Amino acid sequence: MKRIVLLCAVLVLSGCVSIAKIETGQHAVGDRLTVNIEGAWNHINAPGMGPAQVWTMEGMAVDQLLLYSGIRDGQAVHSGGGNDNQKSMTYRSNMQPDEIAALFEGMLTRDGSRYRLSKLEPVSLGDLKGLRFEYSLVRKIDNVQLAGVGYAATSRGELFALLYMAPRLVFYPRHIARVEHIGQSMRIKP
Amino acid sequence: MNRRGFIAAGGAACCALAAASAGAQDAWLAPARFSRPDLSTDEGGLWAMMDREERNLRRSPFVIRDRALNEYVQGIACRLAGDHCPDMRVHIVNTPLFNASMAPNGMMQVWSGLLLRVENEAQLAAVIGHEIGHYLEKHSLERLRDARSASAFAQFIGLFGLVGALGQLAVLAGMFSFSRDQERRADVIGATLMHRAGYDTGEAAKIWSNLLLELKARPDGDPALKSPMFATHPPADERSDTLARLAATLGGGATNADVWEQKIRPFRREWLLEEIKRGQHEESLALLDRMSGGSTAVPDYRYARGEVYRLRAKEGDLDLALEDFRAAAALGGEPPETHRALGLIYRIRRQPAEAKASFLRYLDMAPAAPDQAMIKSYMEELGS
Ligand SMILES: [Zn+2]
Repeated sequence: MKRIVLLCAVLVLSGCVSIAKIETGQHAVGDRLTVNIEGAWNHINAPGMGPAQVWTMEGMAVDQLLLYSGIRDGQAVHSGGGNDNQKSMTYRSNMQPDEIAALFEGMLTRDGSRYRLSKLEPVSLGDLKGLRFEYSLVRKIDNVQLAGVGYAATSRGELFALLYMAPRLVFYPRHIARVEHIGQSMRIKP
Repeated sequence: MNRRGFIAAGGAACCALAAASAGAQDAWLAPARFSRPDLSTDEGGLWAMMDREERNLRRSPFVIRDRALNEYVQGIACRLAGDHCPDMRVHIVNTPLFNASMAPNGMMQVWSGLLLRVENEAQLAAVIGHEIGHYLEKHSLERLRDARSASAFAQFIGLFGLVGALGQLAVLAGMFSFSRDQERRADVIGATLMHRAGYDTGEAAKIWSNLLLELKARPDGDPALKSPMFATHPPADERSDTLARLAATLGGGATNADVWEQKIRPFRREWLLEEIKRGQHEESLALLDRMSGGSTAVPDYRYARGEVYRLRAKEGDLDLALEDFRAAAALGGEPPETHRALGLIYRIRRQPAEAKASFLRYLDMAPAAPDQAMIKSYMEELGS
């Protein structure tokens, strides 16, 4: 948590961070993904944040909603590259649902956090068949125990996904209903 | 700084050193037990920091609390430490990297990645004995008092503040990495303690040659060329040689391979999964080649190696994976995931009958598997 807070502080001080309010209603994320929101979220924007839009209810160090739209074959799902000891997690267009769930698991455990998949199931997102998964995560930097949920689908070789995580006792139960609603509302233009 | 890399490199390098001189061990006598240093001294400050780190560690969800395993490893540390036994506190940490460390206040950390890698009790005793060697000689304090380290420490505190610095203990430990002489001393003491506790000191050399096999398997080649830690220290193979020579003067002793196998078995499946998830395929293959070549036919090693091949998915890897999964199944007692993996490969290869049979077997063996619904949908797609 300290590292994230520090990062936020540095970014805010350097004036690069913008926080935009996302209001209730339908929102486009990238060119092809739309979602429906109930209740306001904060969209955090800062340089070097990676390919996903980052939204939060409580603040980035507490809960995060990541929205991926149109990730292409060979593109990483995180910021920064891989190196000797941190695997780079890259989307491939022939990935199966189990591999997509494993892709996000790999991303979330790059820093040594502990991940456990608790559910992986098919889900319909409009006309598309996608996947939904639930997981728990023990964050390496501060030992906080998080719970999370993910939705994903592929279309024309591109990946669309939503990933949410929050501390499991208070914040996750507080926001999970809205997050599930957003996940179910994901629609991808053909 | 890349924390993981630092630890991995540091863990290896800490031990990748030292040309121990045979014969020196006879003269060595353990010091009397240490009493808690005054808080106003630098040593007292160091202890206080480590006490705080230990309090955090006790609460950490990464600590493995299984009583039998803890008593077993603590018992090994105790036998090695002799009179200092009451001051040794072993914490087993669930992290899939090769590492052990010991703080001046008696807090010892042993990582699960180390337990997965050693082949018998004597090998673990070699690492623990080496760490106790650092402790008995107060090497951290020596480093703290070393002028260059002291200024580095001051800078470090300045950068993060004391609280931040405490949270960065791994980095801190790296900054206090031991000197070549200290490593040499720790090796001699470790071998001496091993010998006195009745262990086969010949096992110490094998750890470093085994570790070297893994590090050399990295796609970026010889670690000596990449890691600054390796570059400034004698290579692991030199150390392995010296330890072997030292062992020749300290004959006899037990490896306790059977006890080891029995104590580790309940945890191995979990640790292997963690190892696979590191995503360092070449290192994992080197490790699993070695492990699956051992005398005990353990299906888990074959499953794990197959899984690394399946996930790496280079040309020819799926065939190798199939071979390992089938071998694991033939041995019996294989993890249920063996059959999921078989099913996933058959599914991609458009062999629906084989895929369905494998998936069915998986669902049957793992009725509470989190991905039941997804696997069932795969089966439906395959038709009847
Ligand atoms: Zn050492």
